[in-house]
Order: sequence, then C-alpha cells, then structure tokens
Amino acid sequence: MFSPSSRRQFLQRASGGFGAIALAGLLADTQAAEVRQAAGSPTDPLAPRPGHFPAKADRVIFLFSTGGVSHVDTFDYKPRLVADHGKKISATRWLNKPGKFERFLIRPHWKFQPYGQSGTPVSELFPHLGGVIDDVAVLNAMYCESDGHDKATLAAHTGSAQFARPSAGAWVSYGLGTVNRNLPSFMVLAPHAPYAAGQTWGSDFLPACHQGTHVIPGAEPLPNLRPRTPQPGLQRMELDLLARLNQDHLRQHPADQALDARIRSFETAFGMQREAPEAFDLSQETEETLNLYGINRKTTTGFGWQCLVARRLAERGVRFLELIDVGSSNNWDSHGNMADHARLAKAIDLPIAALLTDLKRRGMLERTLVVWTTEFGRTPFHQQADHAGREHHNLCFSSWMAGGGVKGGVVHGMSDEHGIFPADGKVHTHDLHATILHLLGIDHERLTYRHAGRDYRLTDVAGEVVRPILA
Amino acid sequence: MVPLVALLFHPVLPSASAVDPPTEAETVFEKEVRPVLVQHCQRCHGPRKQESGLRVDSREAMLKGGVSGPGIVPGKPDQGTILAAVHHRGDIAMPPDEKLADRQIAALAKWVAAGAVWPQANTAPAATQDSIAASTRKHWAFQPVQAPAVPKTQNSTWPASDIDRFILARLETAKLPPAPPADKRTLLRRVTFDLTGLPPTPAEIAAFLADTSPDAFAKVVDRLLASPHYGERWGRHWLDVARYADTAGDGADYPVREAYKYRDWVITAFNKDLPYDQFIRQQIAGDILAKNAPADQYDDYVTATGFLAIGKRYGYSPKPDYQYLDFADVIESVGRSLLGLSLGCARCHDHKYEPVSIEDYYALYGIFQSTQWAFPGGEEHKRPAHFPPLVPPAEVARLEQVKAQELAQLDSEIAKLNRERGQLDGTGRVGGLDLGLENQPLGKPPAGVWLSAGPNAVLAEAQSPFAHVHPTGTRGVRVGSSAANNGVRYVFRPGLRAVAGQKMHFTIDFRTVAPTDKTGAYRFYLGQGVIASTAVDCSVTPTEFAIKNGSKWEVIRKLTPGTWYTLQLTIDHATKTFSGQVGTANDRTTFENKSVFPGWNGVIDTFICDGNGHVAGPAATRDLDNLGLSETAFPAVGSTTPAVAPLPADAQARIQKLDAEITAITKRRADVQARVAYPVAYAVSEGKPMNVRVQLRGEPDRLGAEVPRRFLSVLGGDPVPANEPGSGRLQLAEWITRPTNPLTARVFVNRVWQGHFGRGLVATASDFGLRGSPPSHPELLDHLTARFMASGWSTKSLHRWILLSNVYQQSSLADEAGRAADPENILWGRFPRQPLDAESIRDGMLAISGLLDRTPPQEHPFPPVETWAFTIHRPFHAVYESNHRGVYLMRQRNSRHPFLSQFDAADPNLSVAERKPTITPKQSLYLMNSPFMHTQSTAFAQALLQQPGDAQAHARAAFEQVHGRVPDDSTIAEAVTFVETYQNQLTQGKPPTPAQTVAAWAALGRVLFMSNGFLYVD
Repeated sequence: MFSPSSRRQFLQRASGGFGAIALAGLLADTQAAEVRQAAGSPTDPLAPRPGHFPAKADRVIFLFSTGGVSHVDTFDYKPRLVADHGKKISATRWLNKPGKFERFLIRPHWKFQPYGQSGTPVSELFPHLGGVIDDVAVLNAMYCESDGHDKATLAAHTGSAQFARPSAGAWVSYGLGTVNRNLPSFMVLAPHAPYAAGQTWGSDFLPACHQGTHVIPGAEPLPNLRPRTPQPGLQRMELDLLARLNQDHLRQHPADQALDARIRSFETAFGMQREAPEAFDLSQETEETLNLYGINRKTTTGFGWQCLVARRLAERGVRFLELIDVGSSNNWDSHGNMADHARLAKAIDLPIAALLTDLKRRGMLERTLVVWTTEFGRTPFHQQADHAGREHHNLCFSSWMAGGGVKGGVVHGMSDEHGIFPADGKVHTHDLHATILHLLGIDHERLTYRHAGRDYRLTDVAGEVVRPILA
Repeated sequence: MVPLVALLFHPVLPSASAVDPPTEAETVFEKEVRPVLVQHCQRCHGPRKQESGLRVDSREAMLKGGVSGPGIVPGKPDQGTILAAVHHRGDIAMPPDEKLADRQIAALAKWVAAGAVWPQANTAPAATQDSIAASTRKHWAFQPVQAPAVPKTQNSTWPASDIDRFILARLETAKLPPAPPADKRTLLRRVTFDLTGLPPTPAEIAAFLADTSPDAFAKVVDRLLASPHYGERWGRHWLDVARYADTAGDGADYPVREAYKYRDWVITAFNKDLPYDQFIRQQIAGDILAKNAPADQYDDYVTATGFLAIGKRYGYSPKPDYQYLDFADVIESVGRSLLGLSLGCARCHDHKYEPVSIEDYYALYGIFQSTQWAFPGGEEHKRPAHFPPLVPPAEVARLEQVKAQELAQLDSEIAKLNRERGQLDGTGRVGGLDLGLENQPLGKPPAGVWLSAGPNAVLAEAQSPFAHVHPTGTRGVRVGSSAANNGVRYVFRPGLRAVAGQKMHFTIDFRTVAPTDKTGAYRFYLGQGVIASTAVDCSVTPTEFAIKNGSKWEVIRKLTPGTWYTLQLTIDHATKTFSGQVGTANDRTTFENKSVFPGWNGVIDTFICDGNGHVAGPAATRDLDNLGLSETAFPAVGSTTPAVAPLPADAQARIQKLDAEITAITKRRADVQARVAYPVAYAVSEGKPMNVRVQLRGEPDRLGAEVPRRFLSVLGGDPVPANEPGSGRLQLAEWITRPTNPLTARVFVNRVWQGHFGRGLVATASDFGLRGSPPSHPELLDHLTARFMASGWSTKSLHRWILLSNVYQQSSLADEAGRAADPENILWGRFPRQPLDAESIRDGMLAISGLLDRTPPQEHPFPPVETWAFTIHRPFHAVYESNHRGVYLMRQRNSRHPFLSQFDAADPNLSVAERKPTITPKQSLYLMNSPFMHTQSTAFAQALLQQPGDAQAHARAAFEQVHGRVPDDSTIAEAVTFVETYQNQLTQGKPPTPAQTVAAWAALGRVLFMSNGFLYVD
C-alpha cells in the first residue's frame, strides 16, 4: 500500500531539488524567473507554473485573527447602533439556534472616524491601519455558515466547515508551485495553533509537499535547520560521501526520477540551512524599518516580527504566507468583556500598517495580495442590556483585502442598520477564496483535484469572484 | 405561499382524448417541453424526490410550485419560479449543472405563455424507472466473481504459478519478456520489509544465502508470516484504511484511552490469519456476534467494532446533534474501505456517478442510528460515555454490584467515623460549635474544611447575633471578594444523600456589610461538589433576596444592608421541591413549593458563597455565620439557644485519630471508585432500532420520506427483516461478506496486491466504481479473488501465492526496451522499486541501531481522565516519543505526529487507500539534522564498534546492515577513508577519544541511512 511507480504519481512526490535559484537573482527578478520556468519541470509539483489567465498578484499574505473579531467595533460603522443602544430587538438566531429572542442592542465600544482620501470609517482600534486605508478594500458583508470557532476557522481556511480538506495555501501551492525551492511554498507564522490546529494548514488529499510549514516565532522557527555535526564543515563531508554513494546507486538503477529527486533534495536542504535562517534574521534591517514594524515596542514585538519576516519571505518567493496573531485561547473571543479587543488590536494594528507601507515603498504591494480575516464577527446585541461582551456572529462580519489587483479605498458590501445581516454585496467565505484565486490568475472552478471519485475544489460548488473590488 | 390568483385560477383543461388527434399545443408539449422536464428536472423534482417541495411531473404540481412559490403562472412567462430559475434570473439557477439551451428555455416560455397545456391523458406521473441504469449494472466491478480459465503461454518454463501465467500472457501479447529473477540479497530485503516493515539482519542474510534448497525462499516467507512483526506491518496497512487515530478529532481532540485495543486487535487478527470475511463481520457486528462466540473471545469481538467508532468525531457531548456528521464519516469509510465505493456524495443527493441513491445512504444511516456509539469525551461533556463492556452483561452486572457493595461499605464506615467526629467537635449536632468556625483563627481566611478565594477573613465583627442554632460565638466569616467566581466553600462531612421520606434542612445567618456601593448579587449554592449537581441556588443583593425556582430567578423579599437575616431551607428530593423562610425574628418571609434544580441527583455535600447571583456585577462584602445542614429541622429564628453538651477532655486527641482514619478510608474509597469495574472498548453496541428519514440536501433539519433500513440497491437492496430486534448491523455484516457480493473480496485482494507491488491491479484501491480505474488484469484479479474465497478467505495464503510467484521475485531492473515499452510498469514485467514508508524508515533505523523495542508498548501515557478539561480553546495535544514500532505511536487527528506527517503517513481524518509519498527538502533536513537521526547513528556506531574486526570489517558490516548488501572493495575503502578523515578532523592530530571514534562511525551510519540504498527497496 505504498509506492506508486507510475509517472503521474511520481509527479506528486518529487518536490525537491531541480534547479534551486540563487537568491540574489531571485530577489531581482522573481517574475522573470516565473516566466522562464512557467513550463516547470514535468517531474516537479512545486515548479512554478502559470495560472489559467494572467495574474494580478504573485503571492498572498493571509492575516488571520483568531477568535472572532467584532465587525461593529472595527470596520463596520453603524451610527444607528449608537443611537439605538439599549433598545430591544427581536433576534432570529442566538447561539446558533433559530427562534425569536428578545435582545438588547449594544453600541460600539469604540469611536469611528473617516480616514484617508476615501474617508473609509475605521474605529479607534486600528488608527495605524486607518493611515493606509486608501490601499484597502473593506468587505463589510462577509458571512459563513458556522458560528463555532472550530468549524468557522476550518471554513475560512479550507472552504469546508465539516470535513478535513486542503487549506487555501495548499491549493495555491498545488496550482502555482513556487519560485524558491530553498523555502517551502506555503508557510504559516503563528505563535500558537489556532482552532482545529494543523488542519487549518493541512494538505489533506493534496500531496503533502503542499501542506503549510508551521513557523513558530522564536529561536528555531523551522525545526532541524541547524547542522548537528560536531563541526559545521563535517556535514559537507557527509553530504559529499552521500552524493557519491547515491550516484553509484543511480548508475545501477538508471532512469528513476525519484532517486534523482531524492539526491537533489539533500542539496536543496543544504541550501535551506543557509537561506532560511537568513530570511529569519532581522539584523540586516534598518533601525527605521524595525521601528516601523514596532519590533522594539513590547506590545507589537510578536506580530511585528511575523509581519517583517513575512515581507522577507515574500521577497524570497514564498507563494502563500499566513500570519495568525493568537491561538485558540486568550484571543478575540470576547464573550465576557470587549475590552480584550483593545489589547489584541494594539498588537497587530501597527505591524499590519507597517507591512502595507513597507510592501508599497518597496514596490511589492502591487503584486502581493494581503488579506485580513477572522472566523466570524460578534453580535451587535446581547441577552443583557449593558453586557460588556459579545457573542459569535457568523451572519455578518468584516474582512479586508489590499494590494495585488485590489482597488484601494473602497468599501464593498453593507450590513443592515445595526450590523446584523448583510444588506448588500454579501461575500461568502467561498467568494473570498474565489477572489484570492482569481487575483492569482486561477479560475476557482478549474483548480480541481480528483479524490475519492470526485473532482474537489477549494470553493466546493460555489464561490463568486468579488468583482467590484478588483482594480 | 401560493398567491391567491394561482389558487383561483381555473386551469383551462384541453379537451383532448385518446381518439382526438393531438392539438398543436399538445404537440409542442410532447415534443419540446416534456423531454426537457423529464431529462433535466424530474430526477430531483419528480415522483422520487421533491427538492424544495417542487415537482414538475404534472400541471397541478407545477402550478402549486414549491417552497419558493408557484412554479408556473399560465399565460405569464415572466412569473413563476421555474422560468426564473431556468433563465438564471433570480437566486436560483437551474438545472444546477448546466444551463438549458436557449431553444429549450424558449420552448418552456412559449408553452407557459400559451397557457401551459398538458394533455390530460398523461397527467399521471411517468412510471418510475429502475433507479439504476442497465449500463451501470454492467460495470465490471458489479459482475459476479468467476474464476476465469488460466491462459496458455508460449514460454512454459518461466511460470511457476497461475499468477505468472496471467502476467506472462499479457507480456507475451506485448512482446515483452519478464525481468530476470532478483538476486537473493535483494529478494530477502524486499520480502522482509514487505512482510514485517523491518530490514533483514546479517544473520538472516547469511542463512538465506547458505540455503540452496529449492524451497529456501518459501521457508523465508513462512518464517516472516509467522513473525509477530508481520501483523504490525500489515495491520498498519489496514489501519490506514480504517482511519485509525488515538484521539477523537473534534475541536478539543479528546484522547481515546481504549483506541489501542482496536489497533492491537487488528494486529493480532492479521497475525493469526483471521479469515477476512470474519475479520469484517466482527468489525461491523462483533458485539452482536459475541453473544454466541467462545467466552474467551467475547472481548475480541466487541473490540473489533472499534472499526466503526474510530472515525473522526464532531460532537461536543453524547447527544445526537452532530451525529449526522459522524455517520457521514462512517458511511463513507465503510463504503471506501470494504466495498471500494464512494457513498458520501449520496448524503445530499443521488450520487452523480455511482449507482448510489440518497435513499441508499439513509437506509444505511438508519442502521447506524440504531446503534449506540461510544462517546469519547468532548468540550461540553468532558468524560467518555457509552463505552461497551468487554465482558458479557451478566458479568457486568455482577462486577458493578461488587464495586457498589464495596463502595457502600466504605461509605458507611466513613459516615460512621464522621458522625463520631461530629459528636466530638460539635459540627454533627444542632447547637454544636458552629461547624468548627469557632476554632478558626481570627483575621485569617477560613481554612481546613473551608476553601477560600479572595479577600475573605474570619472576624469577630462577622459574628451573627442569633443564637437559635448555635450558641452565640465569637466569630463569623467576612467574604470580601466581589468577583463572580471567588468566595468561600464549605464541604460537609458527611454530606446528605436523599433518603425516602426524609427531607434535608439547611440554615445560615447572613448580612450585607453596610454601607456598600455594590449592586451585584452574591449566591448561596447547595449541591454535590462544585458543579457536579446543583440542588438549590439563593441570591442576595444589598436590597433583595431571590431564589432559583427551577431554572428561573424569583425575588422573595426586600432586604436592608447591615441587617442580619436567617435563611432556612427545607429540601425534598422526592417531590423535587424546596421551601423556606428568610428574615429576622419578627420579620419572616416564607416561600413554598419551589422547584429544585432540574436534574439534581439528591446529594448535598457542598455549600458555596460566590458572586454568581441573579444580578450581574460586583457583589457586596457580606458576613456569614451559623451554617448547618441536617436531616432534622433546625429551630426557627427567634427561638431559644439550644443546650450544648460539654466536650470530652480528650476530644482533640480523638478527633486527630479519627481524621487519620477518615483520610485513609477516603483514599481507599477513591481507589475503588477509580478502579474500572470491568474493561471497556471504544466501540459500538446495539441501540434503539429505527428507520430514519432522508435529510434533504444533507441537512438534518430538512427531512424527507422515511427509508427502511436496507443494503445498497446495487448490491441487492436486502431489507433488514421485519422481525429483526436489532439495528441491522448483523445483516449488514452478512451482506457485505457474502460470497456473492462482487466487491468485498475483490477490493481486499487488490489491496493485498497493492501492498506487495505498490500499486493494485485496480490502481484506485478504494474506488471500484464507475469513476475508478479499470483493472489492468481483470482475469488475474478474479482468479485470485475466487481462489481467496475458496481458501476460506485466508490472507496468509494469498500472500504465499503472490510471494512465491515469479512475478514477485523478478528483478526491479528492467532493460531499456522494457522501460520504453511499458514505462509505468502496467504489465508487471519487472518488480517496481518502492520508497520505504514513514514507519519503515523509522523502525528500520531503530532496528539497525539496536534501539528498537520489539515488544508491544503499554497504553499511551494520557493524562488521567479525572483531569480532562480539554476545549477547543485548549485542545489536547501531546507527542509521546518511544522506541517501540511506529504502528504504536500515538496518532492525533488535529495535530499530526511531526515525523509521521512529514514522511507522508496516512492522515487519520479519512480512510486512506494509498500513501502518497513526497520528496521534500524538509525530510532531508530531518534526516540530516534531527536529534532522532543523531541518536540512531550514534547507537549504530557504538554497536558496530563492539563487533570484532578492523575498520574494513566494520565498514562491510555497516553496509550490510543498512543496505542489505556489501559493496565492492573500492567503496569499502572509500568509506574507511571517510571515517578516518572525519576522525582526524575531530582529533586535530591528537589520539582519538572513544567518543570521537564513535562520532566518526556515526557519520558513516548517517550517510548510509540517508542514502537511496536504504530509503528504497528493490
């Protein structure tokens, strides 16, 4: 029950080696490299290849805030909610149960103000993001089916709330490959696992080379990167002998691409040992840049590091980067007290604004799609008038996109007067995924994988590209 | 809602009859409209199914429409849901797969505009057709298994078996020769990894090389099949298919302590060659079959049904809320693993490609709904439930009784000692010493039996002025914590347990310390434990007193801050009610006939005063005193001080002695309580038999027609007999394994072939349906399948036939012509080279380094069940390292094992038909730099250097152990030079220390482990 030997299956498994590109050249000429290698090596599933049509973006930085961020306290400004604070309404769902519930409207806990030339309203929680809002398209009528953390988090990542499926990053890696084989194609920078843990970045039925590589901020972001030999040079000796033995072996077993791929993967790994730590090493960044990301401020050090490293990895050709701010506990799940939102927003606001600013001044924003989302919003109402917290609200919430092919300074979608239901321009998780793929040059209906007798898609049998926000 | 106009509209019925020639309108209908409705619509909107309540097989039905309104409005083609849908005008776009041709849409519109004429003679729905098309029935996999004639071959000397004849005949047709036989070392390494997942030892190599008898290889095969490692290897293949994991897979990923029993059952089943049909029957219905099984196998039979239970779970508590998803996993897994059929699509609609209808799906669903499922523990209910016992019911009853008696005995001893103690310290009697409060030091939080969280203290100011229960003392408790979950707790020893005809009585004095600016409530809780079972909740704000009547707060009276009150409760478990009074001597408010907490279990042993009262917000500081809990009523407030007997002189010494005894017996009781009365399994048992209704679009709250429990139509559709008292699993087990079932044996024989050759005769091992790959050698598959069933479904026999064939014993080195003619080796003209899988890489290195622990391990060291509090916010996560074989590693669903997932082991969230090996630089980094690799290579070097001989001998031994062969002298010389140079680098000219010598040889070991000579099998 192992080891397929057919060529088709071989394509799935050989993902190492094959012409690692020198970093210097890569940084200068990522796109050209992509064009050159468009055909890719037929034996290499991670070889870069073009999408179905010309792409607007080459890569994605997917920011995920765990726990459910309140839309009416961040990006969805509802003056009527302020005016109607404390009023009784009849809610049709409560704690994911349908019915009629008398509930009290709760006003936003923070003030809003218009930012930028576009005048997009943003709350006091995200003043720095407000500063770059003219690059951002806010989606104010997002919705999904599930109001459980686990399921909604899976849906936001895999398109399926119920069953284990490949993550969006794995689909993108499968669809487009990657330009720098010294780094994984899909990397997840997260200090703690979110809900559903590794399933959120799993490859599931896609070949495992497409699964997200979990980078844990700290001394050893990627495991097994440091040589363990008594002296560093000795490892070269080991690999040289290995290469000679493998060449002998290959001579006796000619024309086996898998053997060849395995040989090359050691050279690639040796390259990763050199390059990956360099990507995580911020010592070459200027003081100004470090300050921009808030690396030296206590509250923003963590996410600042994630954002700055994401930029460095994006420069080095990583196809899909996901940044998760907090794990499955102590997160945005403010049932008890919305005051938590202030601390969590403070930790990410400055770094995210810095990321957008930095990408823009380096000319990278144009080809880098930045997405921010969360599993769901929070109820604009509560069982108790004046309750300090909010419950889960999957019927309507906010996300945003910026960069690579996205119109800046626009707000798409509108909720009703109290932010309870989408009123116009609603966007489902499938639509968000379809839009991400579209901007990468992929038709979400044509990116399929045959599994268990069916052609699976990231977007299941749904998904519409959100065209109004396309630049 | 059907608009009035549609209801009033009187259809203009055409006057057509059988003799009249058809009108033009009728011709349009028959030629252009009806075919569209039949072909594109009636599958989902016809006699069998009415998606969204709509059917389109009669005019009346179309007028009536469905949940979205009338389907058509005659004369008005711009109205009605049907034309809107086919035009893609609104939210609904139909048909779902492809828009109708413009011509067809125009015909529909024209027909509606002309009044929607429907020939009367044909208003009756078209006769239902057989739901399975004849062409589908002809699909190869649904044909009965029949042993075909063995083909003749031109070359009559090469074939050693019928397998060889089938393979050779095809090769000869393609004019390709088979490859020469593999050399003995290659063959031994191949078959040893294949059957045991481990490399051959040098001694085994030597013995095989020395054995020149014609049956030398057959003896090796027999030896390996008899090895316990065979079951570990082939059991693991099955566990991939069975989606085995050690955790439940819901958000909190609860550990399943008993999962390993199923794993071990599988391993044992392979080792003892349990006939495959029995293997399956036991996994589907072992608990039912157990009743007639040999007594010493009862536990095995029940354990086997772990196959059903072991899938990914979705629920948080043992309630049916998410069971439709659990069943989705089970039905899909049963279909793919046993029948090679994908059934999951039929959860929401008839399968698009396979002959599986939504009724088929819910017919099976009914069988599983009629089954009781072990619940592993989950966020809302954090403890396992419904785990079936591994002993028969009578034994369960006996063992439970034994345990209950033992506990009751200990309980009565503890109660006796506590009563004695209560007499001594006064807590046991009304009028005693105020529950020992008088013995607590002043100015400190109450201690001992009391638990305190927050700024609480025993103070003289907190002494109640009342003396109707206890004599006026010198101190009370001041609870200063305002937080909801802080306060004080008192545990009564013993507590009270409901006894028929007896009520429970509680008393307390309290006051809110004045002045106060707090408006929140504090609470008095009575019940068992902290939250185990609540009896009564009372709640106090500075100005009011409330009780919880059932589950509703009810305010009883007003209070004044600073005033002392007495609260007395009388609680009656028999009537589930309580009554009481609260107030002062001359201002008492009584309340009666209030409901206790729903579900209270009749035990009160805990009093809590915290801030979880009926009004949110910080609670005021309060004083508490004179608590009492008793089977007899307390004197009412205002009555006189009861007399107090003086304490005996030696009271303190006796109390200490009693305390020591109580502690000892309580510990013994806890041990007995924790001891499992009888072993259980993560498995299933019989539930309440029931049929279920179709869930439209797979949504459990949108129900269609009830479907009787039965087997898949395409495989016979046998119903569960009307007189069957059970779930129907027994029948299901028989249907799946009956010899006339064309799928079960074929699917398994193909899996075994795939296990040996890396690819099955059917390349899609879990998909034998219309979308799967057709078999490359259908006759060979049927030949083996027929023989397999005739052999009594013996897996080990099947292995022998395959392994002793010349096809298996071919070299993997094909000549260039063979490779060019058959690059994918479809014809098996050579043995396919295969990479080692995750477990074989790991176990192989452990075996060669000498660190492998070949025994089956103990259970996983999960945290004790009493401590389980996993939630989706804090899920269970652990990685347990061990030197046992990889099959025994603890596998989690939500966080996959780092080594196993990196090397492409099966994802336990789904039934895995084949590993999909990848080659990634991260794997190489692991092999180069991981602590595991360095531990193995160091141990390997140490063991190597223990052997006699010089460096050349050590190098030869190293190659033989890792690669199974010894290279030529020049390679040996190169290896020795490598070790010497490496060592010189370490010593820098000084004499080497033993550690440096080991390090140099470890480097060679590492290189060999990383090399393709190790990582691939020829």
